[in-house]
Amino acid sequence: MGVVAEIERQLARQRLRDGADAGDGTELRTSTMTHVVWAPPRWLQQARATFAQLEERHPARTLFLIPEPGRRARVEAEASLRDVKVDGLSREVFSEVVEIRLFGKAARHPASIVLPLLIPDLPAYCRWRGRPPWDASELDEILGVVDRLVVDSWEWAGLPRAYRRLEALFDRVAVSDIAFRRLLPWRLRLAESWPEIGKASRLNVVGPRADSLLLAGWLRSRLRRDVSLSREDTDFVQAVSVDGSPVEPPLGDAPGPGDLLSAELDVLGRDRVYEAAVRAAR
Amino acid sequence: MSNPLAAGLPVHRRPDGCALVIFGASGDLTQRKLFPALYALAYRRLLPERFAVVGVARTEQTTKQFVSAMRAAVREHGRDPFKQDVWKSLADGIRYVSTDFANDPGEDRVARTLEELDEKRGTAGNRLHYLAVPPQAFETVVREIGERRAREGWTRVIVEKPFGSDLATACMLSELLHRWFDEREVFRIDHYLGKETVQNMLALRFANGIFEPIWNRQFIDHVQITVAESMGIEGRAGFYERAGAIRDVFQNHLLQLVALTAMEPPIDFTAHSVRNEKVKVLRALHTPAPRSVVRGQYGHGWVEGEEVRAYREEPGVDPRSETETFLAAKLYVDNWRWADTPFFVRAGKRLARRETSIAIQFQRAPHPPFADLAGDGLRPNVLLIHVQPDEGVSLAVGAKVPGAGMTIRTVHMDFLYGGAFRTGLPEAYERLILDAMLGDATLFTREDEVEEQWKLVDAMIAAWQRDRPSFPNYQAGTWGPIAADDLVHRDGRSWRRH
Repeated sequence: MGVVAEIERQLARQRLRDGADAGDGTELRTSTMTHVVWAPPRWLQQARATFAQLEERHPARTLFLIPEPGRRARVEAEASLRDVKVDGLSREVFSEVVEIRLFGKAARHPASIVLPLLIPDLPAYCRWRGRPPWDASELDEILGVVDRLVVDSWEWAGLPRAYRRLEALFDRVAVSDIAFRRLLPWRLRLAESWPEIGKASRLNVVGPRADSLLLAGWLRSRLRRDVSLSREDTDFVQAVSVDGSPVEPPLGDAPGPGDLLSAELDVLGRDRVYEAAVRAAR
Repeated sequence: MSNPLAAGLPVHRRPDGCALVIFGASGDLTQRKLFPALYALAYRRLLPERFAVVGVARTEQTTKQFVSAMRAAVREHGRDPFKQDVWKSLADGIRYVSTDFANDPGEDRVARTLEELDEKRGTAGNRLHYLAVPPQAFETVVREIGERRAREGWTRVIVEKPFGSDLATACMLSELLHRWFDEREVFRIDHYLGKETVQNMLALRFANGIFEPIWNRQFIDHVQITVAESMGIEGRAGFYERAGAIRDVFQNHLLQLVALTAMEPPIDFTAHSVRNEKVKVLRALHTPAPRSVVRGQYGHGWVEGEEVRAYREEPGVDPRSETETFLAAKLYVDNWRWADTPFFVRAGKRLARRETSIAIQFQRAPHPPFADLAGDGLRPNVLLIHVQPDEGVSLAVGAKVPGAGMTIRTVHMDFLYGGAFRTGLPEAYERLILDAMLGDATLFTREDEVEEQWKLVDAMIAAWQRDRPSFPNYQAGTWGPIAADDLVHRDGRSWRRH
């Protein structure tokens, strides 16, 4: 039996068991997308933790792809149904999670597994953990089967050079970046200072490299003027100032990883504003 | 030049700076619904930056005490985690004025407080008055706010139900409001219209090509609308004895659901267009004959495992009360689309469970070749819109039972809001308060709608003057009187199986 058939058999068996447990068939299977997670082993724990915060918000078929090159080529998969108790719903909602380990050469050809497992007619998103291998076949194949690539450039080394490689993907697939989403409260704050901010020429960010570069790129591209960037490295954005004047920090707690990814999974089309910010990030 | 930094940022409709003045602020509605809704809006940064709330009520208390009570209410009834900085941004703009509405000094204090807020909070003379007051206080409050309306900025008035107790009183209230306010400044609230699922009815019908062509008498056998509550009157005997189910629920929520189900596609989603189409349906409703209306009153029984008393034994209720706690009716919408298609509606208290739903029952398949083999009877397709709880939509379809032979069973294809979208649907009041601040009246009831609703209700009540019902006629915890079943069975149909 092929691995895809085995996955489908495992899912069908669990649906049957869960249906019998529920007795009156009151569990609800529902999906809004296929969610592919490219998670090399070093990212797997983090990816699972984020997913745990996410599953009740985005019922989906989730495919964790765990590449383990350098071993004998084979594919191992484990499928499960996750029951989620949703506040205010008398039924439980269940979604499907499949962890697929791609060993050896199989790690370079993930599309052959993903394609038959996509849910028809629904969008497919890929959250690529870590910096994508720009010239590798696995990235090329994944981009061919999903509608949106979600990255977090905060996870990358080699910025801003890596943004030039990312730019090259924009005409092929919709791309979004959790680092840019994380900046949303700050972008809202800066937008509130219009029209005074229209003549800004200096931006200072106390924050991570990716966030600082993107915020500066965003200002340059939106204002169509050169804005110089100075920055101090920290784990998250702590302060922003424009032309020497501090910007009032946004209210409330910063959103968690699940909230950030969840927001990206709500976006369907190309984000031209983000694309322009990446092009202007230097 | 428009703001280039706003491109791609979430477009939240942000109202102008304004002051919300809640009359009747010490009541249950303010604690359970209004303040939790305001907090939810603040939490999502949907309130204007320059915002203030003035609570006005008879209860003697200071602003500090009021703020503290509202804080506790938000903690208890809010749907979001309590965050001190969010609460502080709201609480800084809260004031409380104690007055009995009828005395000038009290109203002067309200006016002075608003002027102070204009200065300190930048609310610019914009006022949203929320009238959560008993009907007897209505006239005084409207007169006071009308006579003192600010010279600058806009003024709007949200009016809670009940809007009148019959056509004559509703017309009087409208006339009273119009002495000082245009119709576009009056927002008659029916919180059902703020519910996501009620709005989804419009999305379902008008954003999906598959439903509208079959949304008519040719394909639909009948419609059932249920507004069922398992609760009793919860200490509201004074109101309920006068209102009954017909004024409490039928006149507003139920008829609005009928209008949304039966309306023609509006040309756009503006207040004017949507309400024009709804009022056409209300005008086309013909008064049901007495035999097409069933009244009921609950007796003693068991609800959700608890023994409950009869309506006539509730505190404050006349032991010989003839107030109905249940109403079912067969309505017809006399127009081209719906001629001869019955709309069975029912609403009641102390029913088996809390449920609001709209069920569209389609015609049976014209010639099912396997009728004899159907497992549980080959049922017609039903599109079920769950308004509450378990908000969503289900479609009942016949499907073959796996195995040899051709046994057909009815199964449900479900779309549940909580299942498909992130949890935490906004509360109706959040949407409605925000819309009123923005001046968008689409989800509020217009004067002519209210009048059409009362015309129908007055005609039904007039027919009751001649008979004395034999109450109680249903046991608490059931689905109402047997006569309500007969109403539907007479046509060879039945209420949905729950």
